[in-house]
Amino acid sequence: MTGALPYRPDDQRSGPQGRLLQSAPPPASSTSSVRTSRLAWLRADALHAIRLARIDLTLLGRNQTALFNVLLLPLLVGWLFTATGAPRGRIEGVPAEIYVLTGLPALMLGFAVFVNLVNTFTARREELVLKRLRGGQASPAAILGGSALGALAVFLGQIALLALWITRVEDGPLPANIPLLLVGALLGVAVFALLAAAFSGLTPNAELAQIAVLPVLLVILLAAPLFGPLEALPEPLRVAASVLPVTPVLDIMRTAYLGGGKDLADQWLSSLPSMGLLLAWIALAALAARFLFRWDPRRG
Amino acid sequence: MRMTDETTTPSPPGTSGDPAVEVTALRQRYGEFEAVRGISFTVRPGELFALLGTNGAGKTTTMEVLEGFRPAGGGSVRVLGLDPYAQRRRLRPRIGIMLQEGGFLGDLTVAETVAAWQGMAADVGHEPLPGAIELVGLADKAKTRVRQLSGGQKRRLDLALAVVSRPEVLFLDEPTTGMDPEARRDTWTVIGSLKAAGTTILLTTHYLEEAERLADHLAIMHRGEIHSAGTVDEVVADAGDRITFRLPVQPETLRARPGGDLPFLAGTAPTLTYTDGSATVTYTLPGTSSGSPPNGSPGPGTDVPPAARAHAALATLFAWAAGHDLTLERLEVRRGTLEDAFLRVVGEAR
Repeated sequence: MTGALPYRPDDQRSGPQGRLLQSAPPPASSTSSVRTSRLAWLRADALHAIRLARIDLTLLGRNQTALFNVLLLPLLVGWLFTATGAPRGRIEGVPAEIYVLTGLPALMLGFAVFVNLVNTFTARREELVLKRLRGGQASPAAILGGSALGALAVFLGQIALLALWITRVEDGPLPANIPLLLVGALLGVAVFALLAAAFSGLTPNAELAQIAVLPVLLVILLAAPLFGPLEALPEPLRVAASVLPVTPVLDIMRTAYLGGGKDLADQWLSSLPSMGLLLAWIALAALAARFLFRWDPRRG
Repeated sequence: MRMTDETTTPSPPGTSGDPAVEVTALRQRYGEFEAVRGISFTVRPGELFALLGTNGAGKTTTMEVLEGFRPAGGGSVRVLGLDPYAQRRRLRPRIGIMLQEGGFLGDLTVAETVAAWQGMAADVGHEPLPGAIELVGLADKAKTRVRQLSGGQKRRLDLALAVVSRPEVLFLDEPTTGMDPEARRDTWTVIGSLKAAGTTILLTTHYLEEAERLADHLAIMHRGEIHSAGTVDEVVADAGDRITFRLPVQPETLRARPGGDLPFLAGTAPTLTYTDGSATVTYTLPGTSSGSPPNGSPGPGTDVPPAARAHAALATLFAWAAGHDLTLERLEVRRGTLEDAFLRVVGEAR
């Protein structure tokens, strides 16, 4: 792990005194420019985010309650939406159970990513963990990105469990287009991680965070075309669902999983409007996070 | 304040003349409350500078501005020539921060926490400091979860995290608060060795002994202002020397005689304390920063240089005692201490 990264091109060491502690300073190459330092920063951000995501997963592994929830959630909703009074027959030519299950990951984003991250950001802010991380080497983007990356890993694990349920219990197919599925998951996690950062800024403590997320969860659960196409929803919900970020994630993932009778190119093409909508949401959520997110505890 | 003294002092050999930390007329307010009211100081490369003050003096606020957590409200700050807030990205790899409290991931072990910080230093191209756990004396706690550490142990872990990236400038916010005396001494040793290795250190403390033992320069802060600054010797000189003795007769008896009142020494009136029928007299002579005596009545001796004031005062005192045929019992002359200087700052501003 000896760093040969030309990280600090304009470093001027204060003198020979500094050498003892700073043994083997990185060689600052004379050709290094602002551009290479930007690249080095990006690289450092990525490495930091991965490191922090791994720490998050380690911590999840040590918190048995949280781990149980993470593993149980997809199986529980799978059972809830198929084995109990859910629709029977076929929806848009697909067995109803499988149609519903392939839409579920988008709704799980609300729990696995949004609620989880609002809690994490709020608790860590109040416990001064965020402040400590910010005082270390990682940049703000790397700190938030690390948590989002950890949430993405958990979310993908849950999708895998759900796919297992679909193939084993419902005799359904495996996902048709895994790259598209991953893109959908990535965009969805990005939107909800940024929204979580914004919401944590509004929440004074971890207990109140549980309440603050409820309206969002309610909207996610109601205004989503889970049991049929968007057109089948009642008017006010349909309008809400058509602009909210759950619908595009759901569309992308259902298309990616079931194929929708299209070939691969068509699956990507037909997902482009959804991706555009998600990118707009990412921009909006990033803006909200920028103004609302807080590093320091709320006092008084 | 005599900041000019510092800027004219030649730099020690091997250091560039540029200060490692430069604070100029820094102001910081929270709503209506002005936590820092226009302070200035300079820390040269390789030196240890202590900000001494009571709780709420503005030490931590000053540190947070220097650490880049918040922009300067007024005035300017530079660390290694960079603006710590606007140029945080360039500065961060070169500084180490020990916060005043908390902020650990409680379910990680000590070893995992330090490894994570070592990794993050490596990620920015800094060869991490090996043996940071041993350095702070937590080797036997390496496998303990952080939440199970005592307050003092957490402070030591905090120190390990602050030095793990081999910083050029180290910020220590009350590094030994909550430690037992032995741990405190160990931490002083660690800080001393970091300084010996050339690290510039800025620390805050409310332990006078800590500042006295470690600091090359220090500043006493009170209610957002620096009241006294310089080397330990200079600040202590501010406190002024003290002369104490016991009067063999009652002051009332003395006063009955012509000219029997106790004299002013270097323009200072005596303080009398009565115990068991005898009176103890104390003079606190003016320190270096006092041009005129605190009570406003200029007297003989104030034109004498501070270092000679005790001598001149004793001459006056002996002459007076001889004139009244008195023997001053248990006569004691002692230099002012850092505690005297500190209490005077706190007391004056009260």
